Amino acid sequence: MSSATGRPGGAAGAESGGSSPWILEVRDVKKSYECGRIEALRGVSLVVARGDFLAITGASGSGKSTLLHLLGGLDTPSEGTVLFRGECVGPMRNGLACIDLDTYRARFAGFIFQSFHLLPALNAMENVQVPLLGNKGHHEHREEKARALLVELGLEHRLRQYPTQLSAGERQRVAIARALVNEPQVLLADEPTGNLDSVNSARILEILAAVQERHGTTLVMVTHDLSIAATAHRHIAMKDGRICD
Amino acid sequence: MRLSFVGFAWRNVWRRRLRTALTLCGIGMGIGAFVALVGFSRSFEHAWLEMYANAGTDLAVVQKTFLNTEVDQSAGAVLARIPQIAMAAPMVINMMAVTPEVNTLVYGWKSDTFEFSAINILSGRRFQDGTQEVMLGELLAGSLNKKVGDSINLQGTEFKVVGIFRSGSALETGAIIMPISEMQALSGMSGKVTAYHVRLKPAPPGVSPEEWRKEAEDAVAKDLPGLRAVPAAQRAANNQLVVLAHAAAWGTSLIALLVAALGIANTMAMSVFERTKEIGVLRAMGWSRHRVMLLILIEAAALGVAGGAAGVLLGWGALHVLGALPQTASIASTTLPLQTLIDGLLMAILVGVLAGSVPAWRGAKLSPVEALRHE
Repeated sequence: MSSATGRPGGAAGAESGGSSPWILEVRDVKKSYECGRIEALRGVSLVVARGDFLAITGASGSGKSTLLHLLGGLDTPSEGTVLFRGECVGPMRNGLACIDLDTYRARFAGFIFQSFHLLPALNAMENVQVPLLGNKGHHEHREEKARALLVELGLEHRLRQYPTQLSAGERQRVAIARALVNEPQVLLADEPTGNLDSVNSARILEILAAVQERHGTTLVMVTHDLSIAATAHRHIAMKDGRICD
Repeated sequence: MRLSFVGFAWRNVWRRRLRTALTLCGIGMGIGAFVALVGFSRSFEHAWLEMYANAGTDLAVVQKTFLNTEVDQSAGAVLARIPQIAMAAPMVINMMAVTPEVNTLVYGWKSDTFEFSAINILSGRRFQDGTQEVMLGELLAGSLNKKVGDSINLQGTEFKVVGIFRSGSALETGAIIMPISEMQALSGMSGKVTAYHVRLKPAPPGVSPEEWRKEAEDAVAKDLPGLRAVPAAQRAANNQLVVLAHAAAWGTSLIALLVAALGIANTMAMSVFERTKEIGVLRAMGWSRHRVMLLILIEAAALGVAGGAAGVLLGWGALHVLGALPQTASIASTTLPLQTLIDGLLMAILVGVLAGSVPAWRGAKLSPVEALRHE
C-alpha cells in the first residue's frame, strides 16, 4: 500500500464541516476494470488537507487520472473508501454516512479538463452558468456570479463570445470560472495546461494558484509535467497504480 | 438572452439545424395529417349534429345492430301510436356519385316531413312525392353549376331540379334531397328506410325532458323489438358514416404519428450519441441523472411542440384545401375545432416525450467517466 500525508496549504477551507482534519482522505483504494483484468489503482492511501495544492504526476497509465476521478466523485472505487470531510463519497460502505456522488460533485467539487469541454452552443457567460442550471435561485444571481468570476479571470471583454471565438487560454479560463461557480471546496484539474502553449500554461497556473489562495479552495492537479507539478505545495508521483513517492 | 433550462434544451436542438428542420417536417406531416383527418371527421360529426338540431329531431329510430341500418317502413305506423311521439319521419340516406369527381350525400324524405323546417328554399319549390324531382343544396348547385329547371343524372335516372335550398348543416347544403320513394328505388331499399327521425311532444308538467325522452325510448324498445331509439346527439356521434370516418382518420393519423415518433427517436438518439462527452461534462459538474434525462426529454418535447405547431398550421391549410375541393366540399365544414387543435399539440408533445424517453434514459445512465472518455 502506498501512502502520502498532506500538510495544510495557504488558505483555510471555504466551508468548515465534519470532524476530520482532512478534506479528502483515500483509504486503501483499488480500482479495476474488466472483471479485474485491468488494475488501475492497487491500494492507494492519501490525505489532503484543507486549502492544500497537491500535484499528482505519473506516466500514462500510472493511475493518476483514475485517482483524480475517484477524488472528484466521478467514479467509485472497487475497494477502499474515499472520504470528504470524514464522510464517505458514493454508496454507503461499512455503515459510514455517505455523500451522494451527484451532490458531492454539484456542491463540493469542481472540475477542469485538459480539453476544456466547453459547450459549443453557449457563450462564455452561459457556459459558466451551466452547473447552476436547474437549481433554485434567481437568474440575476446566477449571471452575477458568472460575470464576477469571468471578470476576476480577466475575461470581462469576452463574456458573450462562443468557445470557437476564444483562444485556448481564454477557453481554459472560462472552464476555470465554470468549475468555481458552485463555490467548490475541492478543485480537480486534469492536465489543465496540456493543450496550452508555455505562455498560456504559465498564466493558467498563476490563475489556479491565485484562485486557490483567494477562495481557499483545495486544489488537486494531475500533470505529467514535473515543472508544473513543482508549482504545487505538495507533489506525489504514481506508477503502476501505486503512489511511489 | 438569459439562459434558462428550457432555453438550453432548445439551443441543443437547434445546433443541428438541418437535421432538426427535417425532423420538424416529419412531425409536422404527422400532426398535420392528424389535424386534417381528425378535424375533418369531427366536423363531419358536428354537421350531423347540426342537422338534427336544426330540424328539431329528438330521437332517431334505427336497428339495434350496428351495421344494419335498414328499418322496415311499417314501423312508422307503430311509432305514430306511441304517446310521447309527435311526428316520425322516415328517411333514407346514401352516398352517390353525381359526376365522376363529385360524390354527395342524397336524402330521401317525404315532402311533408318536419325536417323541411330547417330548410330555406332559395329558388323553386319543394319536390312532390312519387316524382322524379330533386332539390339541390346551394353549395352542390354552385359546384355543379345547376339551377332550377336543369336535370341531373343519378344512377342512370334523370331527375329534374325543382328547388335550390340552404341549410344550417354543411351536410345538407352540399346534398341532394329527393322523394323517399325514388330514393328507395335507387338504393334497392323498397319498403325499407335508413331510420325514422322522431320529434317528441312537449313533456307534460312535472316530467323532465330527459324523463320524457327516456319514456319514448322505452316505448320504442317495447313496441318495436329489434329497433332502438337513440338521442340525436348520440346518433350523430355513432352513425355508421361518422364512426367509419373517425376510425379511418385516427388509423391513418396514428400511422403518420408513428413515423413522426420514429423520426424524433432517431434524431434524439443521434443527438445523445454525438453529445456523449458533453453529457459526461454535465454529470461531472454535478448534474444528476434525472436532470440529464429531463434535459433530453425537454429537447424531444421541444421538437414535438415546434413540429406540432407546424403540423397544426399544415392541417389547418389542408382542411381549407379539402373544403375547396369539389369532391369533399359538400361533406363537412372546414372550421378547425379547438379540441382538435389542442389534441394535435398534446399529441405532438406526447409523441416527442415518448420518442425521446429511450434516448433520454440511455443518456442519463451514462457513467460520467465513460462519457468523458467517449470519442
